[in-house]
Amino acid sequence: MANSTVALRAYGDGLHLIIRPHLSISEVEAAIEQEITRMNRSLAGASVQIDLKSPTLKEEEIELLSSKLQQTYDLTVRGVEVADEPVSPPIAAAPTTHVISPTTDTRTSRDSEPSRIVAHTIRSGQTEEFPQGSLIIYGDVNSGSEVKAGGDIVVLGALRGSAYAGMNGRLSAVIIAMDLAPLKLQIGNYVNRLSVSQESRGYPEIARIGAEDVIIVEKFVKF
Amino acid sequence: MGKVIVVTSGKGGVGKTTSTANLGTALALLGKTVAVVDADVGLRNLDIVMGLESRIVYTSMDVIEKQCELSKALVRDRRVDGLMLLAASQKNNKDDIQPEQMKAICDKLRTTHDFVLVDSPAGIERGFSNASAGADEAIVVTTPDVSAIRDADRIIGLLQNARIEPINLVLNRFSPQLVGNGSMMDQADVLDILNIELIGVVPEDSGVITSTNRGIPLVYEDGSPGAQAYMRIARRLTGQRIPIHNFEQKGILNNILNWFTRKR
Repeated sequence: MANSTVALRAYGDGLHLIIRPHLSISEVEAAIEQEITRMNRSLAGASVQIDLKSPTLKEEEIELLSSKLQQTYDLTVRGVEVADEPVSPPIAAAPTTHVISPTTDTRTSRDSEPSRIVAHTIRSGQTEEFPQGSLIIYGDVNSGSEVKAGGDIVVLGALRGSAYAGMNGRLSAVIIAMDLAPLKLQIGNYVNRLSVSQESRGYPEIARIGAEDVIIVEKFVKF
Repeated sequence: MGKVIVVTSGKGGVGKTTSTANLGTALALLGKTVAVVDADVGLRNLDIVMGLESRIVYTSMDVIEKQCELSKALVRDRRVDGLMLLAASQKNNKDDIQPEQMKAICDKLRTTHDFVLVDSPAGIERGFSNASAGADEAIVVTTPDVSAIRDADRIIGLLQNARIEPINLVLNRFSPQLVGNGSMMDQADVLDILNIELIGVVPEDSGVITSTNRGIPLVYEDGSPGAQAYMRIARRLTGQRIPIHNFEQKGILNNILNWFTRKR
């Protein structure tokens, strides 16, 4: 079963550490250690925002946690938010500092691309490719399978396998899934650098290239 | 004209052979004529699980090499009417048989039996293509763990490509207790991933080990939960409509206990 106690996620404004309610401080610490070990990647120097779901940890416990994150992992806590949902900025407001080089971005509009509909679940070991444009999948993309598209990938189901969007060089390509829990995401040449949480979120999510050339994942509201 | 059903899984050790032996026996106990075929050439086991290993004279390899007639190679199970075993050769390997040859055997068996159950080997290579070559339908056996489910998913894809339909799922070694405390996937989780029809849930039953060692399929002793589960699946295979037994619901007290012990 997936670790559902804490989750480290990359949103438009940086790293978020999401902590579930009804947990003791020792449980949270153990889960953080597990999550960071699982990521297998140093986070030294990064800053993180703590998203708490109420009812929550006590204030002195949060302070204790912050100093522990600083000491053990060299992680600076830049803020604490208490909310029912992880806070993510609206898509339009996300920074677009990414420089799109004209040589790689051969297509600039998704309007000019054809798309293909796949009306079944893609199972382990199967590959669905559509280099000419976008793929829309009415079904799941199961663990161990691959979907590759020249443009966007939209999964009207769970994405548990690997997804490669923007293979024709359009870096504005996105990956949307009702349940985004992939093994691997790639948009253009960008591979997800932070492991996307494998647990089900219960709402649709969108992955795209954001600031600092990182694939970011956030709640999908609208285009 | 009988039905040919391949029993397969992708992953090894999830209960293909046990399921084949028990479903074959159960169907015979329901009055059907059944041939069970071991397609695991070189690593045969079905004969042991069915307790017929000492009576094998010829194998499917001998039939293919025209050393004997198919009817001569069939071993009759004396405990129940209408149950036959076609054993695999232990000294050959899977590449010695062509899919068309297996298909020919299955097509012949279906003229004389109501059900032909083919016990597939693990894997997705030649052994699997041999086993599924003559099949109309498939039973995919899986346990509720992620590795078995990924392999089952792979096999389902291959079966669909081969236009074998319907594909029914047997969820084996299911432990309501582990589901209750949140450490095992429940029925809904498994079906959510695999997205095929569930034909039965077989609970974890230690009786399986003793029955395998003694060569007496579980269904001969119909008291155990495993045996009852296999009987229900056999009834469903004959077209009876029986609701799927829900092992997860064990009274109000358990539900409350589960609610408290479940990891959230």
